[in-house]
Amino acid sequence: MASLKRSVGSDPLAANISSKVYVRSTKSGKVQKIVREVYLRQDIPCSSKLCQSCLKVTPRDAAGRQIPFVLSEAPAGTSVFPQGHYLVPDTNAFLSAMDLFEQSSAFYDVIVLQIVLEELRNRSLPLYNRLVGLTKSEDKRFYVFFNEFRLETHVAREEGESVNDRNDRAVRRAVAWYGEHLARTKAKKGPAVVMLTNDRDNLRKAKLEGIHACSLAEYVKQLKDGDRLLDMIPDTEDRDAIKEKRPNELLYPEYLTMSKMMTGVKSGLLHQGTFNVSPYNYLEGSIRVPAFPKSLIILGRENINRAVDGDLVVVEVLPRDQWKEPSTKVIEEQAITRNENPDAEGDDAVSERERKALQEEAKRTQSKTTEGHAQPTAKVVGVIKRNWRQYVGHIDQSSVIQSAQQGQKQDTVFIIPMDKKIPKIRLRTRQVAELLGKRILVTIDAWDRGSRHPVGHFIRSLGELETKAAETEALLLEYDVQYRPFPKTVLDCLPKEGHDWKVPESIDDPGWRGREDLRGLLICSIDPIGCQDIDDALHCRPLPNGNIEVGVHIADVSHFVKPNNAMDTEASVRGTTVYLVDKRIDMLPMLLGTDLCSLKPYVERYAFSVLWELTPDADIASMRFTKSVIKSREAFSYEQAQLRVDDISQQDELTSSIRALMALSKKLRQKRMDAGALSLSSPEVKIQMESETSDPIDVKTKEHLDTMSLVEEFMLLANISVARKIYEAFPQTAILRRHGAPPKTNFDELANQLRVKRGFELSIESSRALADSLDTCVDPNEPFFNTLIRVMATRCMMAAEYFCSGTQAYPEFRHYGLACEIYTHFTSPIRRYADLVAHRQLAAAIEYEAVGPGVRSRGRLEAVCKNINIRHRNAQMAGRASIAYYVGQALRGKTTEEDGFIMKIFSNGFVVLVPSFGIESLIRLRDLAEPEPEATFDAENYVLAMSGSKDLKVELFQKVRVKVMDRKDVTTGKRGVKMEFVKAY
Amino acid sequence: MPLDTSAYSLALLRVDGRRWNELRRIHAQIRTQAAADGSSYLEMGHTKVMCVVTGPSEPGPRRGTAGAGAAGASKAVAEVAVSVVVAGFSSVDRKKRGRNDKRNLELQSTIANALAASLHTHLFPHSVIQVSLHVLSQDGSLLAALINAATLACVDAGIPMTDYVVACTAGSTSTYAAGDESADPLLDLNHQEEQELPGLTVATLGESDRVAVLVCESRVQVGRLEGMLAVGVDGCKQVREILDRVVRDKGKRMVLEGTVAKGEGLEDMDLD
Ligand SMILES: [Zn+2]
Repeated sequence: MASLKRSVGSDPLAANISSKVYVRSTKSGKVQKIVREVYLRQDIPCSSKLCQSCLKVTPRDAAGRQIPFVLSEAPAGTSVFPQGHYLVPDTNAFLSAMDLFEQSSAFYDVIVLQIVLEELRNRSLPLYNRLVGLTKSEDKRFYVFFNEFRLETHVAREEGESVNDRNDRAVRRAVAWYGEHLARTKAKKGPAVVMLTNDRDNLRKAKLEGIHACSLAEYVKQLKDGDRLLDMIPDTEDRDAIKEKRPNELLYPEYLTMSKMMTGVKSGLLHQGTFNVSPYNYLEGSIRVPAFPKSLIILGRENINRAVDGDLVVVEVLPRDQWKEPSTKVIEEQAITRNENPDAEGDDAVSERERKALQEEAKRTQSKTTEGHAQPTAKVVGVIKRNWRQYVGHIDQSSVIQSAQQGQKQDTVFIIPMDKKIPKIRLRTRQVAELLGKRILVTIDAWDRGSRHPVGHFIRSLGELETKAAETEALLLEYDVQYRPFPKTVLDCLPKEGHDWKVPESIDDPGWRGREDLRGLLICSIDPIGCQDIDDALHCRPLPNGNIEVGVHIADVSHFVKPNNAMDTEASVRGTTVYLVDKRIDMLPMLLGTDLCSLKPYVERYAFSVLWELTPDADIASMRFTKSVIKSREAFSYEQAQLRVDDISQQDELTSSIRALMALSKKLRQKRMDAGALSLSSPEVKIQMESETSDPIDVKTKEHLDTMSLVEEFMLLANISVARKIYEAFPQTAILRRHGAPPKTNFDELANQLRVKRGFELSIESSRALADSLDTCVDPNEPFFNTLIRVMATRCMMAAEYFCSGTQAYPEFRHYGLACEIYTHFTSPIRRYADLVAHRQLAAAIEYEAVGPGVRSRGRLEAVCKNINIRHRNAQMAGRASIAYYVGQALRGKTTEEDGFIMKIFSNGFVVLVPSFGIESLIRLRDLAEPEPEATFDAENYVLAMSGSKDLKVELFQKVRVKVMDRKDVTTGKRGVKMEFVKAY
Repeated sequence: MPLDTSAYSLALLRVDGRRWNELRRIHAQIRTQAAADGSSYLEMGHTKVMCVVTGPSEPGPRRGTAGAGAAGASKAVAEVAVSVVVAGFSSVDRKKRGRNDKRNLELQSTIANALAASLHTHLFPHSVIQVSLHVLSQDGSLLAALINAATLACVDAGIPMTDYVVACTAGSTSTYAAGDESADPLLDLNHQEEQELPGLTVATLGESDRVAVLVCESRVQVGRLEGMLAVGVDGCKQVREILDRVVRDKGKRMVLEGTVAKGEGLEDMDLD
């Protein structure tokens, strides 16, 4: 009987094969042992241009191409390594200071070890992607050295050695190998190979082994602009010191281990969800979990336990006697922690004030008899995933010690993020003097138990506060909008003819294949004034049988943007065009968006057309889809079109056809309303700009014109028709848009307010019922009241979202707001990526082109949907923030009195909405009079009665007169709209 | 967790350190079970399989195995009956596969058809060649390993055949969705690569370019297929070299040990 045991000894290859064993736990909590083979080799080059011996062994790909060597033959030197050097950072160096490596002033010729890349990928995917991006950049010269696969640098884990120790040893081994290897080259004085690590133990061992090693700070000090760069290094040493100094003074409870959290969540004892901070109270957060119909409230710093808005956390529900009502008091971080000293860590005076603020809250809740309103409370016991990003903010002037403003000493200051939901960030910098009064970009590094505030580091300055450039960039960064110019690879995908591109004259040209010639139709477009990216155009004409042919023609973007090329990838990352007041950040390059795709008048353009035969009652008799060539006769603005329709003397064919479209659109609208479509509202305003300087001069509320509904109705009809068609063709992978029915509890508060204050009943069984009951909420004396209620109702709604049809059951497709079964976006492919995908799917569905992988792969589509949902939301918020900023700028130096309405009421203040500016602002009791008036708050009836220094009673929905002005807050240096109470009506 | 297959482009190295055109280590033995008519043990990387061949012999009562060749009444040729048993411990998540698992049935019938193409089954009418395969460990390219092991066991059993049926897998360095037309082809996929990348299994008859099996279960652009197939066929030739060496070494040892007499056709064998 022959032994089956592998005869390792006799195998010549065996010495070069190693195994990698590791343990991983799956999502379901199972533990798996994975064994992988590793083939060790000697043909992995060092990639230094100095080295001749590696040239011979450089690998080739299947096409015989070699990867060119990366590391420079004459790398830059530092004060300690004047002969030049290559850097070998460890994982923590990248984790803590990736921004440093992206600098253009230093950090060239970097060797990224495979083990470091692996560890980085496990710790942070975004950072991994940034690093991979750096390795692809030609001028940064980052080389990935696969140390784990090279025979000489492979390191086996020793018995009793921790994984981290082994990996550190692997890094040192690789550094040592590089040193020996380069010494063998002919260069007289070769570059030094320098390891970068902040781990003290690792540094010590490196010194023992005789290899060059520096901590990040030591290294940066050797560079020319060291002081500037030094700020970008997180202060780990400092934090270690604090830990050692005061082990007992920990401010926050410890987090549970990951496995404890997982078992807790699985058994239902703990709950997992995304942590959201209340916009009015920085000490109150909420988290929605499936087990409770109402969201859980998390009150107080200790219970919030270092969670930051957006983090994925695990919470434990507190006992029922600690359940509370949501806060009715405004608590602002700035007001409470204003005098905090950034150097003093455990200053209890501040937390005392916080506790007092919350205590008053608790007292109020305790005295209440209405148990039914109490909401479950919870505390954070652990964080699964941080959602930290880069934050825009500015230095809190009051946290700066005067004397420090000159010296180069490192100072600790507070950064106040633009986003109010983010706590202040503690930061050490040497450049306080330069950074004061600037918008700066910072990041959070850590939040230890011993530190009241998160600790971060400086990335870069955006410029002076309140300058247009700085504020616009701040806004784009804050909403993660990709605003860099399109790279060359993207521009290379554009048609070579540029602006001279034309629809080919000859019908035999391949561009005409499968296209219908609709150039003879009287097509026109109707858009806002100054619209350059014209997505859609319309036509209609009577048919002999008494029906009417209507066509919606959409820019044929998918003709120019082919799947998977660089332009498509860029567009899918951007997801949408972002409109700011004075700036548009395009999804596609200008050439396409405003010229070749844009359905401009008087020129021929490719289009994707939806053609219906409608009966005079606007019922669909038949419909079809086709790629086409059109020639728009005119590009109207809404106002122009409206004037034309209203002017009876205009009897030309084009105007009559717009009138016919108008008549049909009204019937379509009526049908939608009958089906229960909601007419929701958000206050929309328009900024009027001085055309020369583009400075805002006035704010106007948007006017609604019939021509706007005209376009909207036909776009809805086209979107619905296309949604049906692509769903029929691709039941699993159609890209659709849904709008979920809002949970009943969302409306509890509003329904109660309406019942108590006005005696209206809000029924929410269906969108129809909601629409009808919203219609009844009318105050005969106050025409705006209905709009106010609609504004408030809109905020109770869910957000609409893109999804891939295979991920939901058909009933879930429903669009609640539009009251239709199925819906997608098709009509704006120039500015929305979802529409572009829908175009490709429709083209495949009508067999105009082959079914591409982007259309078929469900996983890919889900990823696309996820991204564009986020981009879409960010774009909306960026747009709103931009309007808010310009409203403030338009008001600069002016004071006006306006009417407003109270839309939210707290025990120490109330929120007023001013419709004419579309802004809302908080008016606190202490703003009303000095000293702060006494107040009794009747939460049941939403009435706040003041006495003492000011005699006043305000209630919800009340109309008030306010003075609107802009004011620069002295402490925060932030300019914003402020309201001052004038009188109640 | 190691990097995934997308890191290939960084240095033209695969997840286990191989280049695009390299096989994993193949280790094989024949005549591992002295009592069986033919037997073999084969490793391709961490994929480990065993094979036992019984026959040609008279057919017993029918079992639930996939057969090729003679079916039903006309028993002019021998039937090749293949059974594959996958050990529960062979893969990471210890999934138990039933005897009638669809994938298993498909494996069996693919192997049976591949062997029937090479074995001279017409020499053994009214009989059955029973091929039993056991999967001990899985790390990708399972079908290829099974075909190679079955070939070796048939050689060991002394069943006349035209040539070795040798198999290996081929893949491509980027996913279908990435649509990268310049992707490199890959030889001999391991489990991780099989999970993440498109791939196919190809088997050829010996050194010829005659393809006996071609199975592609993943989606891949047709433009990349030719490159993958070429690499796969080339890999099959390398596998044949290795298997042939195993057979010759074993034969040489048996002659030296005196287990068998040096017979005709062995003159060219180097016995020093
Ligand atoms: Zn070298």
